Amino acid sequence: MNRLRRSAIAAGLLLVPAVLAAQGAGIEGRLQTRGLPASLAHRVAVVATAAAARGVPDGPLADKAIEGWAKQVPPDRIVVAVQHFADQMASARTAVIDAGIESPPGPVIAAAAEAMRSGMRADQVRSVVQAAGEGAVAAPGLSVAAALSAQGLGSDQATKIVVGAMHSHRSMADLLDLPSVARVMHDQGMSPGDIEHRMMNGDGDGDQGSGRSGDRGDRPSSVPPGTHDHDGHSHDR
Amino acid sequence: MTEWDGFSADAHRYLDGEPFEELSGTELAAADRLAAEVRDYAARLAPVDPALDERVMTAVRRRAPARRRSGLAWLMAPRTVKLRPVWVPVLAAAAALVVWLAPRGNGGSPVPVAAAPARASADTVFVRFELEAPQARSVSVAGSFNGWQVGALTMVRDARGVWSATAPLPVGEHRYEFVIDGTRWVPDPTAHAEVDDGFGGRNSVIVVGPKGLVRS
Repeated sequence: MNRLRRSAIAAGLLLVPAVLAAQGAGIEGRLQTRGLPASLAHRVAVVATAAAARGVPDGPLADKAIEGWAKQVPPDRIVVAVQHFADQMASARTAVIDAGIESPPGPVIAAAAEAMRSGMRADQVRSVVQAAGEGAVAAPGLSVAAALSAQGLGSDQATKIVVGAMHSHRSMADLLDLPSVARVMHDQGMSPGDIEHRMMNGDGDGDQGSGRSGDRGDRPSSVPPGTHDHDGHSHDR
Repeated sequence: MTEWDGFSADAHRYLDGEPFEELSGTELAAADRLAAEVRDYAARLAPVDPALDERVMTAVRRRAPARRRSGLAWLMAPRTVKLRPVWVPVLAAAAALVVWLAPRGNGGSPVPVAAAPARASADTVFVRFELEAPQARSVSVAGSFNGWQVGALTMVRDARGVWSATAPLPVGEHRYEFVIDGTRWVPDPTAHAEVDDGFGGRNSVIVVGPKGLVRS
């Protein structure tokens, strides 16, 4: 029993500083670990801390700073971009809250911000979030809508397609497949209007015109590991 | 002589039985008188019981240790902890586990936000990247899925000058660019879309679904 107590004491003495160290390691340390100079890491951390006080997730802000540093963007411009992104996420958070999610998770806020950066309006973000009904679907729904919008469909059409897919209870796999399907349709020469029309009519379920089947000529450049196509053959590359 | 005790340093040394340099006759007489008074006083004290030491120590040992001390005092008190060496790696592993599980705030998460949909579905899809760049000496892919690390995903050149690499990506949206010769960032012409990266450039966007990524 004594030995057990001593072991427990030793474990406690070891774990307490470990926990404190982990909690103290913040965004600044993370940025410095990635090679950002201390002064820049501090400036980004100040922006991120202020953003977090507004309910904005600070992780995407750190990611943005890391991206800028990797691209050798001057520090001042990195700070400006991070601040701008923080403001976008604050606006996006408001749009998500207006859609009925009281405490939106960070990924939903970030996805909404990226969608708005891609040209979607706040009311379109609200439509997607309301159609999703839950955060786990809202984030990918927003990402898909943003991707479709960036593909040239127009934010109104992109929103309609995603909301329509959600209302018709398409699977998550079908939802995430929409940008791939739109890309193939585009490369087949269809106009954005045609793509929207076909997708709204249910042609965007990933099984038609997507080039997934080997006998249609187009071949996917990637496949889920261990999956097979509709002919029962393994995809090869 | 100092004011407070009336004796010089040499007088103190004399009284302590230590070597001294010089004492005046007056000082020497005063010191001797004081020493005599001390001896006389000590002689009048009651003799100490030879068993006193043992009785005191027995009482101290019998006294129960304080059971309710403050946590801080307990932590600060020096103590010996005996530990079998075999416990060291176990405790180290436990500490590492705590560090790994400890909250990192909103931004502590190493998972890029763009990969959030991937958490909803745990699927991973192998994605093949290609870029035709015959003049390039090296090409890599840097993006949200690898922390924008240049060189984390290097591509291989074929005889036609087409560079390619395949990587397992979580289901979800990803942003990336090709990095040519370590410095030149270019978007992927076959990506689903391009978006402003916030720094004056363009990021390529792909949305990876469980069915796989389809390209023409």
